[in-house]
Amino acid sequence: MIPYAQLTEMDDAALMLRARDDDREAFAVLVKRHQKMLLNFFARSGVQYDYEDLVQQTFLRLYRYRDRYVVTAKFTTFLFLLARQVWIDELRRRKRHERLAEGLAAEPHPDHVAPVAADAGAAGGMDLGPALASLPESLRQVVELGVYQDLPYAEIADILKIPVGTVKSRMFNALAKLRAYLEEK
Amino acid sequence: MKLTAHLNELDASDAAAFRKLAERLRSVPDREPSADLADRILAAVDAERGRSRRRTPAPWWGVAAAALLVAALSLFSVFRQGRTCGASAEDGLAWLAAAQEPDGTWSPAKYGGSEAYRPALTALSALALARGTEERYAPHLKRACAALASLQTADGAFGGQSRERLYNHALTTFALATLYSGQPALKPVLARAIAFSRAQQTAEGGWDYEPRSEGNAALTAWQVRALACAGRNGFGEAAVPLRKGLRWLRGSTREDGSVAYHRESFSRSDSLTALAAYTLITAGDAFPGLPALGRHVAGTLSAAPASEEVADCYRDYVKALAFESAGSGAQAAAVRQQMVARQKAGRRDQWQSVGGRLYTTALTQLAAR
Repeated sequence: MIPYAQLTEMDDAALMLRARDDDREAFAVLVKRHQKMLLNFFARSGVQYDYEDLVQQTFLRLYRYRDRYVVTAKFTTFLFLLARQVWIDELRRRKRHERLAEGLAAEPHPDHVAPVAADAGAAGGMDLGPALASLPESLRQVVELGVYQDLPYAEIADILKIPVGTVKSRMFNALAKLRAYLEEK
Repeated sequence: MKLTAHLNELDASDAAAFRKLAERLRSVPDREPSADLADRILAAVDAERGRSRRRTPAPWWGVAAAALLVAALSLFSVFRQGRTCGASAEDGLAWLAAAQEPDGTWSPAKYGGSEAYRPALTALSALALARGTEERYAPHLKRACAALASLQTADGAFGGQSRERLYNHALTTFALATLYSGQPALKPVLARAIAFSRAQQTAEGGWDYEPRSEGNAALTAWQVRALACAGRNGFGEAAVPLRKGLRWLRGSTREDGSVAYHRESFSRSDSLTALAAYTLITAGDAFPGLPALGRHVAGTLSAAPASEEVADCYRDYVKALAFESAGSGAQAAAVRQQMVARQKAGRRDQWQSVGGRLYTTALTQLAAR
């Protein structure tokens, strides 16, 4: 068995290969190494308080699909693919719930005050959170991957399954919309 | 190509503005994960790994033989025990009290059920006695709680080797959380039970017997009820799994208001629709929209008597709870009447092989009050 300290020196691909063979410690290193990146990926998606759940779901999918990882794929690309799918599933659930909720009368609850996120504004002073949230999902994801994660456009194209040219045009449109939004405020 | 190279291709004014914007976006400090997030993730992975390893399907002939044996034993027991129990509430409670074993448990095998569910049937019988107003059942309850605590294994679960393990765990945790008041000795027992529940929760927030499943509505609703009750008794560690469990239940409610066993199951289940409605209304009362959703779900149920040959005390119990909590007292009363009438008539119950007469009596008592 390889000592934990030695595992932490390994690159993602080597750890993933060990995790594929059910090495729990190798998987633990991957979790600890990438949990923060995923947490911020989901937090910037507009999730108010469930982002840690979504991180957990992503890693569980990584465990379930560990056999599908091939060394030729960059590990973070594979991880973001899974995270994106988790986010898409989450959006579908939300949409279904919203449709259901439309049929229900609004019901104020005496003991409940609508939650104000404790970290409201943490997305950059006062206006970056709403500005990001104002973007269509397809544009926001390009900003997330290209600006915050600083991924090469080719990798973004792989994750989003779109051509590199589309990544470029979406990035331009996203930044232009953000700029306009912030100038209006 | 990365963003920097892309911006270099743009005209100077756009490029400068976008660079400034990107810097501003990146200047926002990242959020830090909770200190225990990695541990929670790894616990969920361990639970998944454990479920995968435990799943060793029995050969079909083994399952068939076991089912036949259980059915034969059930029929034998029904005839041996007599087909009805006392019709009044007090008769039912007295019968349950008398059926308690000297060690404090209740033995379903003696009444046509399966011994594998002894913890769950002990939990339900104790809950039924606790709903009575009679002080004379207090010693029975104390013995039942001690017996349930003694069934706990080192990992925090309450007995069983196979599928019944999680069912026993959910119902026993719910019973102990309900009966916790005034029994400080139960505190470490409940804390271990909650830790086990957390470890077994899927990343999606549900619970299930099967590996690679997001959860099933029955087990998830019982776990949520247990965690909500524990939370009300001051077990703060129940808050996170409770919220996730409620979120799973909310997400399992279909657009027509129905709930099925699995999210992908084709047909609705009246039992699970009622159980989900009741759970959303009562356990979700601190969350916006959940009680309203629960009432909407309850509104899709009918109290009309079913014409089925086989009675279903579990379905009737949760329907009575759902109607009552949704404010439809008349419908709840109608369901209770049918329940008592079926029991008086000695109708064979769908869940006979699980808990036998203990099950039908305990659930009838729990629905009645």
